[in-house]
Amino acid sequence: MSDVDVALRARETPAGGLWRSLLAVLLPILIVAMELGVYFIEPRVLSAGNLRNILIQSSYLVLFASAQMVVILTRGFDLSLGASVSAISVASALVMTGLDAGDAAPWIVVAAGLVTGLGFGFLVGLFNGGFISWLGINPFVVTLGSLNICLGLATTMSGGRPVFNVPDPFSSLLYNGKLIPGVPVPVMLAAAVCILLYFLLDHTVFGRALYLIGNNPRAALLAGLPSRRYLLVAYILGALLAAFGALMLTARTGSGEPNLGGSLMLESIAAAVIGGVSLQGGVGGVIPVILGSLFITMMSNAMNLLRIDGYIQQILLGVIIIAAIFLDRIRSTRA
Amino acid sequence: MTARSTDHGGAAPNVALDRFYRLYGAIGFLPIMLVVLIVLFAIFVPHFLVLPNVLNVLRSSSYLVILAVGQMLVLMVGGFDLSVGAVVALTSVSSALVMAGLKGQMADQPALIILAGVLAGLGCGFLVGLVNGLCVAFLSVSPFMVSLGTASIATGSALLLTNGIPVYGMPVGYVDGFGRGLWFKLPSAVYLAIAIVAVVFVLQNFTRMGRYIVAIGGNLQAAIVSGVPTRFYLVATYVLCSVFASISGLALTAQIGSGQAAINSQLTLESIAAAVIAGVSLKGGVGKVEMVALGALFLLILTNAMDLLTIDPRIQTIFLGIIVVLAVALDELSTRRTRRV
Amino acid sequence: MVESSLAETPRAAQAAAREDLLLEMTRISKRFPGVLALDDVDFDLRAGEVHVLFGENGAGKSTLINIIAGAFAPDAGEFKFRGRSLVRLKPHAARMMGISPVFQEFSLVPELTVEENLFLGRELGAGGFLNHAAMRAKARSVIGELGFDILPDQKVGALSRAHQQMVEIAKAFLTEVRLLILDEPTASLTEAETQNLFALVGRLKSAGVGIIYVSHRIQEFQKIGDRITVLRDGRKIATVKSGDVSESELVELMTGRKVGVLFPSIDHRPAAKLLEVEDVTLSDRSARNVSFYARAGEITGIAGLVGCGKSEIVRAVYGLEAIASGTVRIGDEEMAARPTPIDMLRRGVCYFPSDRVAEGLALGRPVRENASMAALDLPTFSQASILRRASERRAIQGIVDKLKLRPPQIERTVAKLSGGNRQKVLLARGMTRDISVFLFDEPTVGIDVGAKIEVYELMKSLVAEGAAIVLVSSELPEVMNLSNRLYVMHRSQMVAELSGADINEAEIFSHFFREKRPEDGLAAARSAMAT
Repeated sequence: MSDVDVALRARETPAGGLWRSLLAVLLPILIVAMELGVYFIEPRVLSAGNLRNILIQSSYLVLFASAQMVVILTRGFDLSLGASVSAISVASALVMTGLDAGDAAPWIVVAAGLVTGLGFGFLVGLFNGGFISWLGINPFVVTLGSLNICLGLATTMSGGRPVFNVPDPFSSLLYNGKLIPGVPVPVMLAAAVCILLYFLLDHTVFGRALYLIGNNPRAALLAGLPSRRYLLVAYILGALLAAFGALMLTARTGSGEPNLGGSLMLESIAAAVIGGVSLQGGVGGVIPVILGSLFITMMSNAMNLLRIDGYIQQILLGVIIIAAIFLDRIRSTRA
Repeated sequence: MTARSTDHGGAAPNVALDRFYRLYGAIGFLPIMLVVLIVLFAIFVPHFLVLPNVLNVLRSSSYLVILAVGQMLVLMVGGFDLSVGAVVALTSVSSALVMAGLKGQMADQPALIILAGVLAGLGCGFLVGLVNGLCVAFLSVSPFMVSLGTASIATGSALLLTNGIPVYGMPVGYVDGFGRGLWFKLPSAVYLAIAIVAVVFVLQNFTRMGRYIVAIGGNLQAAIVSGVPTRFYLVATYVLCSVFASISGLALTAQIGSGQAAINSQLTLESIAAAVIAGVSLKGGVGKVEMVALGALFLLILTNAMDLLTIDPRIQTIFLGIIVVLAVALDELSTRRTRRV
Repeated sequence: MVESSLAETPRAAQAAAREDLLLEMTRISKRFPGVLALDDVDFDLRAGEVHVLFGENGAGKSTLINIIAGAFAPDAGEFKFRGRSLVRLKPHAARMMGISPVFQEFSLVPELTVEENLFLGRELGAGGFLNHAAMRAKARSVIGELGFDILPDQKVGALSRAHQQMVEIAKAFLTEVRLLILDEPTASLTEAETQNLFALVGRLKSAGVGIIYVSHRIQEFQKIGDRITVLRDGRKIATVKSGDVSESELVELMTGRKVGVLFPSIDHRPAAKLLEVEDVTLSDRSARNVSFYARAGEITGIAGLVGCGKSEIVRAVYGLEAIASGTVRIGDEEMAARPTPIDMLRRGVCYFPSDRVAEGLALGRPVRENASMAALDLPTFSQASILRRASERRAIQGIVDKLKLRPPQIERTVAKLSGGNRQKVLLARGMTRDISVFLFDEPTVGIDVGAKIEVYELMKSLVAEGAAIVLVSSELPEVMNLSNRLYVMHRSQMVAELSGADINEAEIFSHFFREKRPEDGLAAARSAMAT
């Protein structure tokens, strides 16, 4: 089949190098413009305290958006993100409060909580990745299924109510500890994760393979890359990132919440796509994730300060999603 | 799909196996499974085969049938609609609000009130379907993403309109006569479901649109080149799916007796599950409405049995997730056997 | 009447004198991202004429016929059909006007039946409802007239490629045909079916239908063609009368080089057997009981018609198709039941797919990543799973320079490269590892002549270094001139092993028609009656 035949089938999209750089600069400009705009109505938005809040808040989203990005890179998707966060929160809280009640040493309690959380995440990733990579099933359907499973588990384990009294050592480790004075723990953790992720994506064979698999899965297969194995690892990695984020959030709320996930799924996707991760696969990175997370966090922060109804925010999230995929379509240069 | 066809020119493989797959392909394992399940439950589950329960199951599955049929159409054009559950909620809320709102002014004309409410509800479905369809057909964006977005918008709107509180005040005739009424011993919803199945059956087998839906899902390029107005029919299919979801929502609301934004949130997943169990392919081009009706029935019988066995609904959610994944896995494995030329 | 442009006055005068000028295309140009598909091309067709369009893949034939069929519009030039100037023609309108294309890539929906596919987009019926009876009757009559052995209610997805082609041809005859475009129509037909087709073409000619016949099977179209237009690299090289030019002259026109210059003379020095395939049958039966071997220092060719299984058997060796029975041996080692690409690469076997875009290259990634893709496990490129980017850059730059990639920028996205350069990036992969067996699957499809010569030179140097090359190609001149030994496959079986003087077109063709299907008796009888 000649390249002309391919061109015949191509949808000629307008995006070229110029468009891409334009759109890349667009987001930071948009963020600044948005903040300035809100400032005129509500000056508190640019106060030191609020900015600090935004930074902390976006740290969590960075983790969840990264989790989503890793999977989207491979042309996949994780609809179970929010639900798994809820389930992990409940599970780890249950384990920790249970051990705490039994007077176990604090470090064992904290370790057990971490292991439970990450272990649960590992299993979710294994489930999703297993069906998707080995059986080649549509990621949407698989993660839709695991979404329901996690949701059911979260409500069943918690009995529908939050699990209170998550031990303080846990919270201080992941939330309000004082490791580096002046730098909030969540920000530190998010930064560390970003650095690791950057290294993984840009300097390891696995990372390179993710981009290649996302760009052309068949070509990756032909070139001898262990696509199936890497796909599974990608889903596990994503789930572990989400699990870590869940643990961080649990430390912050101080309780295992069966509804912690809430709208996280949509937010993580919105953040990733707006930042520049392409839904076609093979395009993305740590910077897009950070930018997108900042944008989404600032938006909801602004809306809260402007006292916009929570339900309206949900509607707006839906509109943003549609706008984001529209943007993504324009951006793509798939031949 | 431009399939890489090869000229075998050789003898056909195992004839007996071939015949088995053709039979399997013709009726599928679903009717058999259904019969097996009914028999098993009749024996082992208390109060399963008694009249009130049977009527209950028939009524509940009717709502899902209407929903699943719409989902089937969208799946057949190679798409996906994750917003059907949200449309049901939005329809429920909007129709109830309109009816309750008009109650004061037109108390003596319940028929008009009901009509207004129904139109409001259907209008919601039409709008959502239109947005989904236009984005997919003209912007060529992923139907998953669009319907995720519209689902969020619809759910948010429903919550916003009601603040999460159920809306009462629908006309008595609507609720008791239609929603909870028994016509010739069967719940009204059953007749509605049968009517819709019949309409879609005719659509699939006797109309242009039915063929075009298969063509668009089976080989979009071929459809375009053959002059099929693909964009129009894509939009029409998504609209139809959402309108069906609205119809289901209207019937469900009438039965419940109030407009609820929090109406059964698993409906979307169940509609997909019912379709996949019924052999509708996620890749498009394959689907039969009769089977989807059976698929919905299958699911509801399972849920009903679990309810009767007092299994926690939260655990049922887990089962539903597992069933969906397994059903899709089975579908994927079985299509691997029959290699397309 | 027909208008003329000044540059074409003599011809236009001639044309004006002929009232049966069906199609007139003047100075047609069409550009796609990265490639100028048609450059100032003239083409015309008279009623009752068979005008052959001849040229290699990528020469512009498919672009031209797509324009005629209304698939897209030309960027420049005039397009006249029956005296009327056509602007912004759509496929549907073209069909209604009598322009019926039968493309090589079928536009069939596998889930629909023959009848449903025939009428797709133009169903009979009123107000959205279908008139099944009328369509069934018409379908039967069209199929009957054409003499095809297909039934209206068969699912197209279950038909063989040859039968699918019949459905595609039948589609063209549902409406009145004035201009028929046949794109490589005999690719998978038996001799009997081909005769049927030629008889049909004859009948159409007498009825005044104009036929554009796209093919690069010279012996075939010299039988039925009236005029031949040769395209090369998007330009019209010549239009000649069928009888006026010899076969080798045609090949020269097509390639722009004398046959001897296009193909380098290769010094084959066959040594040890590096690859041996013994009695292999694939799970989907696209190849059955195939045996062949390849030796170091020579090019082993596999020739055959489209769909004969030659690609599939080679892909199976590399691990891309499932093997049901038989053995594959690399050197002395017998391979496990299902080899995988990485296994093969590590044993020194490399496969270059025919469809570069779908299977070979990650278009959105730079040249460097595409070239190193198959060797990331080697120490030059990574250590303990960490990429050695500087080392990678050096290695790939070196290979890319050697292969004369133009321009030699390794950070450029592959999407921006031309076909020939893309192929070089693919071939670069074979240089990143220690490869001794190269499996080339249709290596010169869609690349310009200059690049082709470079690919052949590369093959020559690989052979000189002692590699074994297996060359699978549907282009007979290519596979005939480059191979030391040539296997011929037909309908999923190996039917001949040729060497030396036996490697010629007549000998190869004779093996295509030896095996017949049971229904052929009927078809042959019918064709005997028709002519």
